[in-house]
Amino acid sequence: MVNVTLKVNGETRSASVPPETTLLRLLRDQFNLTGAKLGCDVGDCGACTVIVDSKPVNSCLMLVGQVEGREVLTIEGLANADHLHPLQKLFEHFGSLQCGFCGPGVIISAKALLDENPDPSTEEIRDALGGNLCRCTGYTKMIEAIKGASCILRGEEVPAVKSA
Amino acid sequence: MKSFEFFAAKDSNDALTLLAQHAANAKVKIIAGGTDLLADLKFAAHGPDVVVDISRADDLKNITITEQGLSIGALVTHTQIMRSPLIRQMFPALVAAAHTIGAVQTRNLGTLGGNLVTAVPSMDSGPTLMALEAMVTIAGNGGRRQVPLSEFFVGPRKTILKPDELLVDIIIPEQNLGKPTHFLKFGLRKGQALALVNVAASVWVDWEKHAFLAPRIALGAVAPKVIRAPQAEAYLEGRTISPEAMAEAGRIAVGDAKPISDFRASAEYRRHLVAVLTKRALESAWALAQTRRLEGSNGKRNA
Amino acid sequence: MTERPKVIEKPDVLEQPDILKPQPPAPLVTFPIEVVVPEVRQQTPAVGQRATRADGRLHGLGQTKYIDDMYFPNMLFAKIKRAGIASAHIKSIDTKEAEAMPGVIAVITGRDIPCNSFGPSLKDQPVLADKRVFHAGDGVAAVAAVTEQIATEALEKIKVEYEPITPVLDPLESLKLETPGVHAPSSNIYGHKVIKKGDVEKAFAESDRVFEGTFRTQMVEHVPLEPYACIAQWDANGRVTVYSTLGRITLGRADVARTLGIPMSRIRIVATVVGGNFGGKNEIRAEPAMALLSKKTGRPVKCVFTRAEEFTSSTTRHPLIMDYKTGVTKQGKILGRKIRLVLDGGAYCSWSETTLGKACILSAGPYNIENLYAEAFVVYTNKTMTGAMRGFGAPQVCFAYESHMDDIAKALGIDPLEIRLLNAFDEGSLSPTSQKLHSVVVKESLLRAAKRFGWNGIGNGGNGNGA
Repeated sequence: MVNVTLKVNGETRSASVPPETTLLRLLRDQFNLTGAKLGCDVGDCGACTVIVDSKPVNSCLMLVGQVEGREVLTIEGLANADHLHPLQKLFEHFGSLQCGFCGPGVIISAKALLDENPDPSTEEIRDALGGNLCRCTGYTKMIEAIKGASCILRGEEVPAVKSA
Repeated sequence: MKSFEFFAAKDSNDALTLLAQHAANAKVKIIAGGTDLLADLKFAAHGPDVVVDISRADDLKNITITEQGLSIGALVTHTQIMRSPLIRQMFPALVAAAHTIGAVQTRNLGTLGGNLVTAVPSMDSGPTLMALEAMVTIAGNGGRRQVPLSEFFVGPRKTILKPDELLVDIIIPEQNLGKPTHFLKFGLRKGQALALVNVAASVWVDWEKHAFLAPRIALGAVAPKVIRAPQAEAYLEGRTISPEAMAEAGRIAVGDAKPISDFRASAEYRRHLVAVLTKRALESAWALAQTRRLEGSNGKRNA
Repeated sequence: MTERPKVIEKPDVLEQPDILKPQPPAPLVTFPIEVVVPEVRQQTPAVGQRATRADGRLHGLGQTKYIDDMYFPNMLFAKIKRAGIASAHIKSIDTKEAEAMPGVIAVITGRDIPCNSFGPSLKDQPVLADKRVFHAGDGVAAVAAVTEQIATEALEKIKVEYEPITPVLDPLESLKLETPGVHAPSSNIYGHKVIKKGDVEKAFAESDRVFEGTFRTQMVEHVPLEPYACIAQWDANGRVTVYSTLGRITLGRADVARTLGIPMSRIRIVATVVGGNFGGKNEIRAEPAMALLSKKTGRPVKCVFTRAEEFTSSTTRHPLIMDYKTGVTKQGKILGRKIRLVLDGGAYCSWSETTLGKACILSAGPYNIENLYAEAFVVYTNKTMTGAMRGFGAPQVCFAYESHMDDIAKALGIDPLEIRLLNAFDEGSLSPTSQKLHSVVVKESLLRAAKRFGWNGIGNGGNGNGA
């Protein structure tokens, strides 16, 4: 068993789990944070994306022993009970998610992008989403939503968005 | 995933101590970024007994100029390579190669050393480093040794690393700093694709004779390991630069390649790609050499 | 003079990768969650309004509960042992060692299934293969354990003895009468359809040119981002509740009732939010096995497929082998067309009959063809089963007839757009099955598309791609 203590969404959490446990399993099975999904378990689909020490990573490809003492942000840490992050607001508004299974991973990837690059080009957004697969909606509406959210985060008007 | 014992190393010395303790009587795997290792272990019938985590060994994460040349620590991630001002200036080809690996998430975790140690013939880090005649430093409990990268690979997923040894850094030798280099990859998709063929070419230029000097061509995914194209290099050495010469070098490079047919592409198609990509990589490396000459820069920092 | 540098220049500052520098926090901008409640008797606007998905907000918050996000107290985790051999007799299955493992609560095999066959049309799929393996992805045993890890490890302790049978892998071989039946004594051809119109041989005789071509498409997996998952909970009153990613719960309920041998009234199927279907979740998979494991253990049992199982043990799109023969005038007018489609059905029927019908009806393309003979077969092979997938055979035949049209246009020296305009359906045209078609805009659509991407024909300065 490995004893692990880390910060998840600002809260210090601890667990004692077998060493082969991945960060994804730790979050889902031990901490009941089921926002990050298991889609492929090999780092292809990006449904398990979380931010570790300000970098987006595949949580299915990190062992618990490697996240000891680190800071993790999951989709659950992006919004509180009655407020949405601009990305979540605009993903809803633009209908960027259909089945929604890829959504938490995509939004976390987008959040990591906007943290570093407040005004990304379409090409930069596509590159940032290169590790997130979607099978229903496609990426066009996600890119629209991410562009819109970048406007809001910069304090600008979102072009052609009606208030809901 | 099969269960194993897990040890986290504080630094490279600690890692070597852990390897010395366990490698003799147990199957040990080193985990760095884990992007290849964990994807494998999840489906492996027989896993390791011990996993040594080196991801916290900060002494293996530096990008520095030493007397030997440009040293890139084994734990430098692909993202770090893409963002390093030093590498961006000296070797845009290394940046381009890093950018074609996986996606943002895997580039944030995956390391240069890990990519090399995995020794997959289609790896994207290999060709550029091979075309720049990189050396690798290997640390063992008996001390350190340096070998050319070309001798590091043995075959598919096989290197000369012994169970108790650690890849420490990758060195691009001093005489090749700033050498105009270009990397090209052909995959079935733009993102997250394995290379059908990848090619890197580096050239110095004799401006008086308008000829190639020390041309180096490396090919990936066309042999059991990343290889150089000695016949094509010999053809170009000292030869007057022309589009025809570069096209001919591409055709000759086909003879250096030994591709196989698999579900991604036929051997025939891969041979075709070798000719085209080699020609284009040479053209781009030559273009970079010209640009740098016009700018009065030799590609080195502050030059 | 060469450009080899002589001096090593040390950088002023040691390289500090910028990703490791602390990032400034994002400005805190949040939206209050608004809830729009229409007034009593107020007409809520619909047509012409932008609609927001009712589930979009929870998706974005990561609060949507897919099956793998659901947990019941005391729940067990199940894994299924896959055959890994395309065709074989099962001589014996020894589960003793697996059952003895600490943490393993129950193991079942095909012999525990009261009625071990189901399917949306032909009942040819076993829940777990008992006597015979029909494809490598067949399940042969299911294990319920206290953790998924233990269940996975237990699979390796299950010993299965096989007597291999030469598998049938090529659909054209399977079509031959002398080929041994995958589901002997039944024929390998389990579906057949013919559409006849006019006299195709006479049309070929009257044609200026007759063209032939064979087209093949590959097997395609749906790859929903959410792998197949279900939870079964058998209660003390003999009722079972199944949480399932199934897209057709009523049909699934009938199949669960059949396989378990209990009335439908005792089965409750809860359709959860589905993480992508595309036709791949249109019939039950492990539901009956999970129900039995739950019955045996008295505890809820969850099963989630691995990505690999999603490829080997769920349905896929039919690969088609399509032979086309078309007689045309010099101007490119189609006089007659003869088509043979062979659908690779894999090990089980699944939704093959629907696919066969739709592929056959649509195989002539959106063209007025007076003389037509289209014949389609679907055959068993010892491969992953094929079933429903978006379009039910339509994309495959479209690839064939449009490729064939391009080949004909090229050989006749006609513009590919022109040959389509010459033959395409008009308002009131009859389909191959003599359905009168309305709101037909094939030609208008083609012309508008050609205009949009600047098509000016092959050989008129264009490269055929409108560039």
